[in-house]
Amino acid sequence: MKQSIVKRPMWAAILSDVHLWVPVCVLLVGVCLLLVLR
Amino acid sequence: MSVALKTDAEKQVRSLHLVGVVCGLAAGAWLGTAEAPVKLAAGQASPFIVTLGMVLGVFMARWTIPVLLKGAGFVVKDLRQNAHLIVWALLAGALWVVANTLTVYAIRNVGLSIAFPLWNMNCLVGLFWGWLFFNELRGAGWKGVAQVFGGSAALVVGAAVLAWATTTRTPGASGNALLGVAAALGAGVLWGTQYIPYRKAYISGINPLSFVTVIAFGELVSTLILGTVFAGGVTNLGHQLATARPFLFWLFLGGFCWVIGDLFQQYAAKYIGIGRGIPLSNTNQLWGLAWGALVFGELASIGEHARLLVLTGSLIMIVGAALIGSAAAPASERSSWSEAMQRECNRYSLDRARVSTILQGDDPLARQKPQRRWWEALIPLCSLGVMAWLGFSIQRPNVGLNLPWMLCLLAATVCTLFFSGLLLWRRTRFS
Repeated sequence: MKQSIVKRPMWAAILSDVHLWVPVCVLLVGVCLLLVLR
Repeated sequence: MSVALKTDAEKQVRSLHLVGVVCGLAAGAWLGTAEAPVKLAAGQASPFIVTLGMVLGVFMARWTIPVLLKGAGFVVKDLRQNAHLIVWALLAGALWVVANTLTVYAIRNVGLSIAFPLWNMNCLVGLFWGWLFFNELRGAGWKGVAQVFGGSAALVVGAAVLAWATTTRTPGASGNALLGVAAALGAGVLWGTQYIPYRKAYISGINPLSFVTVIAFGELVSTLILGTVFAGGVTNLGHQLATARPFLFWLFLGGFCWVIGDLFQQYAAKYIGIGRGIPLSNTNQLWGLAWGALVFGELASIGEHARLLVLTGSLIMIVGAALIGSAAAPASERSSWSEAMQRECNRYSLDRARVSTILQGDDPLARQKPQRRWWEALIPLCSLGVMAWLGFSIQRPNVGLNLPWMLCLLAATVCTLFFSGLLLWRRTRFS
């Protein structure tokens, strides 16, 4: 049986990647900490 | 598989582990050496200007070295093949800059002796992310896990002992202790998290020389934004930078040395993972100590007890590095790494066979040798011109230097560059 492979657009793959959101969240926490320290 | 083939494959794996370990140690040497020129300028300008000056040097080096070694055509083609990684490269640059700025506040509030051991835990954070997201240490067996975790812990403890013994606990480091500790811990977590983009990039097959060219933009833009916000606006920042011009040469030089160290760190992260590569490159503390003690005479006034602590801390770090260096990933762990690679290939529609070949140190793109253009020479020439321009207005630093020790350490550092670079070239052609 043939199986069709549906390719996701690159941006959709990036935005649904947990490897992106963990560093982004850590970065935001760091920026907030800087604002408090300022 | 025949015995001969199996032995050959094992040899390949062992040689790649050796390349990774040597790169990790060379990274330590160059990251530590980068502290020396920065020390010459550190007392002369505000921390933001020191960071900005260094980042400008880093930016130049992050373009000059890849263009010299691989050519702009290679870098552009490699980035096109891995366009999705541009986001992670920018993120890595931003994480580094925010972490670096946090350390300024940490030192102000609690002093270096307390702040350093806290942010130095970044390698344990990296180890955790490597295990969680990239299957590092999975299948390594209890002995492998004990070696890597024990070695990393030894490096953290050893560095903490060194920081404790060598840092003057100044009463001036008075501030909000809680915020200082939070800033130091935050810097450690941010630096540790910066290794997620690193490992992500390399299990996708990009060349470190291409990846760092984009990290440079993340670093530069973030530094400019933070510098503008925290140093009183663009005009003030420009004015401070102009005032610091006599010392900018040292900061640029520090940035160049730092990039060489960082490139070795990237190769270590690529070939032995962040769990092993990052702790090894954290041996920079030993090199920084050697420069401080032997060239700048920083330990001349410390007592017997502190000297004993310095020796103990150094030995603990060396034992830690030896433990990690001898913990080669077994076949079962390498199989887990392959699963992580497969996941990336599926998610981003990458060619699995190509990525797998690259991770064995053989990049098909490098074999194609994209043509070099004449204008590529402008990039290194521009760097050379800027360095010469800054060199003309250089001000002799008012710091006593031990010249014979400086030459010895310079020779040793250049030897690590030559030996590690040669090994990397022979085994991977800088793949």
